Amino acid sequence: MNMEKVLEVKNLKMYYFTSKGVVKAVDDISFELKKGETLGLVGESGCGKTTTGFSLLKMPSPPGKIVGGEILINGEDIMPLSENEMRKSVRWQKIAMVFQGAMNCLTPVYTIERQMMETLQLHKPMSKEEARETMKKYLGYVGLSEDILKRYPHELSGGMKQRVTIAMALFLEPEVIICDEPTTALDVVVQAQIINLLKDLKEKLKLSFIFITHDLATEAEVSDRIAVMYAGKIVEVGTNQQIYGEQGPAHPYTQKLLGATPKLHENVKELAFIPGTPPDLLEPPTGCRFHPRCPVAMEKCKKEEPILNEIEPNHFAACWRCLNEQ
Amino acid sequence: MFKDLKYKLNEFWSEFRKVKSGVVGLVFLIIFILMIIFEPLISPFPEAGKRWRDITYWEDNSKSAPPVWTNLFTSKKYARSETLTAPIENVTDNGRVKITEYEFDYDYKADRPPGDIIFRTEATGNLLFITEIIRPDGETVSITRNNYNFSKPSNVRIALSNDSKNGAYELATKFDKENTLSIPKQSIDGFNILFSKVQENMASTHDPLKGTYKIKIRILNPGSTGVLENPRVIVSGSVSGILGTDNSKRDIWSGIVAGVKWAMLIGLLTSALSVAIGVIYGVISAYLGGFADSLLQRIYEIFVSMPVLPVLIVLGAVFKPSIWIMIIIMCVFFWTGPVKTVRSIGLQIKEETYIEASKAIGASNTRIIFKHMIPLLIPYSFASMALSVPSAIVYEATISMLGLGDPSITSWGQILQDANSAGAVIQGLWWWVVPPGLMISLVGMTFAFIGFAMDKILLPKLKTR
Amino acid sequence: MYWKYALKRILIAIIVFIVIIFIFSLLFNKVAETTLKGQIDEIVKAEVLSMSKNNRNIDIGEYRKSRLEFYYKKYHMNDSYVEKVFWRTYDTVTFNFGRATNMKSSRGSDKVVDIIAEALPRTLILFTVAIIIEIILGIWIGLKKAQKAGGAMDKSTSVATMIVFGMPSWWLGMIMIMFFAYVLKLFPSGGMHSVPTPEGFAYFLDYVYHLILPVFTLVLLGFWGNAFLTRNIVLGTLQEDFIMSARARGIPEKNILFGHTLRTSAPPIITMALLSLLGSIGGNLVFEGIFSWRGMGNLYWSAVQSNDIPVLIGNLAVTTGIYMIGLVILDLIYGFLDPRIKVGG
Repeated sequence: MNMEKVLEVKNLKMYYFTSKGVVKAVDDISFELKKGETLGLVGESGCGKTTTGFSLLKMPSPPGKIVGGEILINGEDIMPLSENEMRKSVRWQKIAMVFQGAMNCLTPVYTIERQMMETLQLHKPMSKEEARETMKKYLGYVGLSEDILKRYPHELSGGMKQRVTIAMALFLEPEVIICDEPTTALDVVVQAQIINLLKDLKEKLKLSFIFITHDLATEAEVSDRIAVMYAGKIVEVGTNQQIYGEQGPAHPYTQKLLGATPKLHENVKELAFIPGTPPDLLEPPTGCRFHPRCPVAMEKCKKEEPILNEIEPNHFAACWRCLNEQ
Repeated sequence: MFKDLKYKLNEFWSEFRKVKSGVVGLVFLIIFILMIIFEPLISPFPEAGKRWRDITYWEDNSKSAPPVWTNLFTSKKYARSETLTAPIENVTDNGRVKITEYEFDYDYKADRPPGDIIFRTEATGNLLFITEIIRPDGETVSITRNNYNFSKPSNVRIALSNDSKNGAYELATKFDKENTLSIPKQSIDGFNILFSKVQENMASTHDPLKGTYKIKIRILNPGSTGVLENPRVIVSGSVSGILGTDNSKRDIWSGIVAGVKWAMLIGLLTSALSVAIGVIYGVISAYLGGFADSLLQRIYEIFVSMPVLPVLIVLGAVFKPSIWIMIIIMCVFFWTGPVKTVRSIGLQIKEETYIEASKAIGASNTRIIFKHMIPLLIPYSFASMALSVPSAIVYEATISMLGLGDPSITSWGQILQDANSAGAVIQGLWWWVVPPGLMISLVGMTFAFIGFAMDKILLPKLKTR
Repeated sequence: MYWKYALKRILIAIIVFIVIIFIFSLLFNKVAETTLKGQIDEIVKAEVLSMSKNNRNIDIGEYRKSRLEFYYKKYHMNDSYVEKVFWRTYDTVTFNFGRATNMKSSRGSDKVVDIIAEALPRTLILFTVAIIIEIILGIWIGLKKAQKAGGAMDKSTSVATMIVFGMPSWWLGMIMIMFFAYVLKLFPSGGMHSVPTPEGFAYFLDYVYHLILPVFTLVLLGFWGNAFLTRNIVLGTLQEDFIMSARARGIPEKNILFGHTLRTSAPPIITMALLSLLGSIGGNLVFEGIFSWRGMGNLYWSAVQSNDIPVLIGNLAVTTGIYMIGLVILDLIYGFLDPRIKVGG
């Protein structure tokens, strides 16, 4: 696979400056996304997945601040852009996002048409008629009829709202679409429908996704490559096959995470869980941040922080053990 | 259990400390409580609370006198209050008549004369009191002649101000006959002339004559059987006390101090009772659900559809209730305050698994409500209580303002009502109008500070309707 | 859909109103009856007097008795207690408040309805003007506060809100009169017209001139609360997902604040503002008295002073009615502004 990189993130850092101290929510992470690829971002809740998503739009929620790094879209760094330029030329136009609480992502007092129209006309000079045509086209993609344009969000079901937000994320044809747990708030049947829809659209429109979820099963289904986050850091990156395949993941955290996911067709005797709690990011552990919970931690893990190392082609892990085993 | 509570309180305090306005509120609250505790010490008239409407208690003050400290801001100083004791005593007894002479030295340094000069003594027997004032320039002005016959020791009180007109008029006539006679005697102010320099037009323009005035009281006692004790002269200044006096000579500071406890009582009792009722009502409504819930909500709706204060006013006018009944009536309307929020919190708590569990093991409804649900609402109740204290105080003040207050207490609203009906606003008697309202506002502010601070800590996300 | 909701809301309000009037009738039946008896005695005495002048042959005692009987029957005074309360409720709900004992309208009518009808528009004008200014000012400052939440301006205005939290409007009125009318002599100390009252356009100007100080006082006290509420509601809305989503879509901050946020916050803001104003009706009754503004509040005061029970009770019924109309209007506005309102909710 030799494709152009649409997104390249280098050493991104996003810290929360709270009254109690600095929380390093996203701490020096780097990854890339190729055209037409889906990159999965997984990890426990609170590990910085969503924060990473928002940081890519340069919209850290206060009191957070991006303190360093580069975000390149098609080779162009958006870091130096002003808030105004971000708004005009990057947000939604280059990077769009489907949010976690998609149910609440539509302004309740406006009709669907009004919200879509506002967004479209803001970014592209087009007449109302043209805009309406675009809306109809994309609503068609997500399997909705144009009748819903006149409706208010509360008149739609959860799945319909999610489809509307997906249509909205698509209609400016952005380079990157971030999907932040797009299915968590939906019931199982609708979840499956939405996942299938996203897969179809990806094929049809050659979209590049960053797919954020804590649900490894979903991730396995949609992603080409997986990046695993723990306590603000990426601990392992690999292809779907490398992470979910027979050989299994390399990093002990990923192993544990997979182990904690119940599998349908296996005889589950005991549900595995990861002992301990995710670390307090105000005072993260020294060395490898996973070492207090790691079953195979060594003396070195407590002292030195491991960096991402290529342990096999396209497979990276930040773990001293993996390095040793090589 | 106790340890747990202590821990929770500690935790609460460490949060509360950070909210500056809350701490300011707490400081004010402590000041108010200290004012209640030390009322007898800080009030120059310790019986003010009990004898607010007893004019004899206030008779030695001046009428409508501004506060003493206003002297700091005026070029013309007002005379201050003082009590003169230890007079020069001179007794002659010729067997038929005993003549006692008291001479008090009054050092007049101000620019405006005192409001009144009062001679007081405890006396028995047949006595004739003759009072006169000898001015620094040597002029003697006779003021009063009073005859008393007491068979047992009685209080004698001779106020000179009102009776000084004759003497003053005579004095003015003596030096400036023409101008003085053109002014009717009733319209002159005796003390103004008495304490001014002798000059042309002295009946209308006053230039203060400073120096030592001798107040001389001669007491003639035929038969020499009379007894005189504790003679003293009270100069009631034309400025008086920390906050001046009203037109009934009452010391306003004392009234304000006496009002603190009533404001606190009315505010706290009303809010505590009504919040308690409201919280229990809301929880029961949430817990029972179904028909009982909708019935309770309809009743609630009826109560919130009534304009509270107008109802209180009409009830007050028709039934003339005492303050205690008034507090109960206020509770009848105030309990609705927390119901809506409590019900919605209650509905959430009800869904918690431990409530289900308690039900499953057969706990009674009462037990679940009082043991499991109410305790969770206590923090909210306190915040809600703090915020409803001011309205109770304002309501009582408003009812008092209409003249429907309980006459057996001294409340700030009543002081304001007196001020309003006496036309204090028109006359510019600001020291009578400003302090009571300011106190009401300050108490309101205090509880607002505390309540909002608690709200901020306890319910960061919860918004009342 | 909306009309069904509106109709239901109005019907419920009417029922609640009747229930409240019934409660009032229960409470005040005795005192109202005593007053009425006194009034009937007066009327009958006058009738007997005129009858005895014109017709000397009549049995005075018998006539008196029959007249009393007639009036007692007319006013249901011989009925049972329960019936009396029902009749009183009926009379009150139909605005049949009877006659005042000693108050009169400016046209000389002693009917309670006339006296109240005269006072009502004055109150409405004063408070409507104040309410409109308060809401506009409150929303404007509230938005400013929310925009820079935690800033110096936000904090200081919040403190100001708490400082005036327990301040009686009528006391502030006294202070304002003292300062602006007697010290600075800028405004009249009260009343609604100058004497002599000017005519034509000058009449209007004179009215406005008298309106300024009371309105200013009400606004000075009232708008803080609105600003504080607006701030909290707007801040709450700003934290919603859809605002974040709108930002991510690149919608300018101005549109987000004045469009998405304000439009979403409008129903609760207007509810809050009107509710707090309705709640302040009570304190403002005395307020009118302080400014000699001869509206319904002043009517309470004069009625209390002259112990005119029928006027008091009639006034209370009308005040309650207005209060409830206010609540209904509020719900109707809410339902109109918020597309989410559930029909039948």
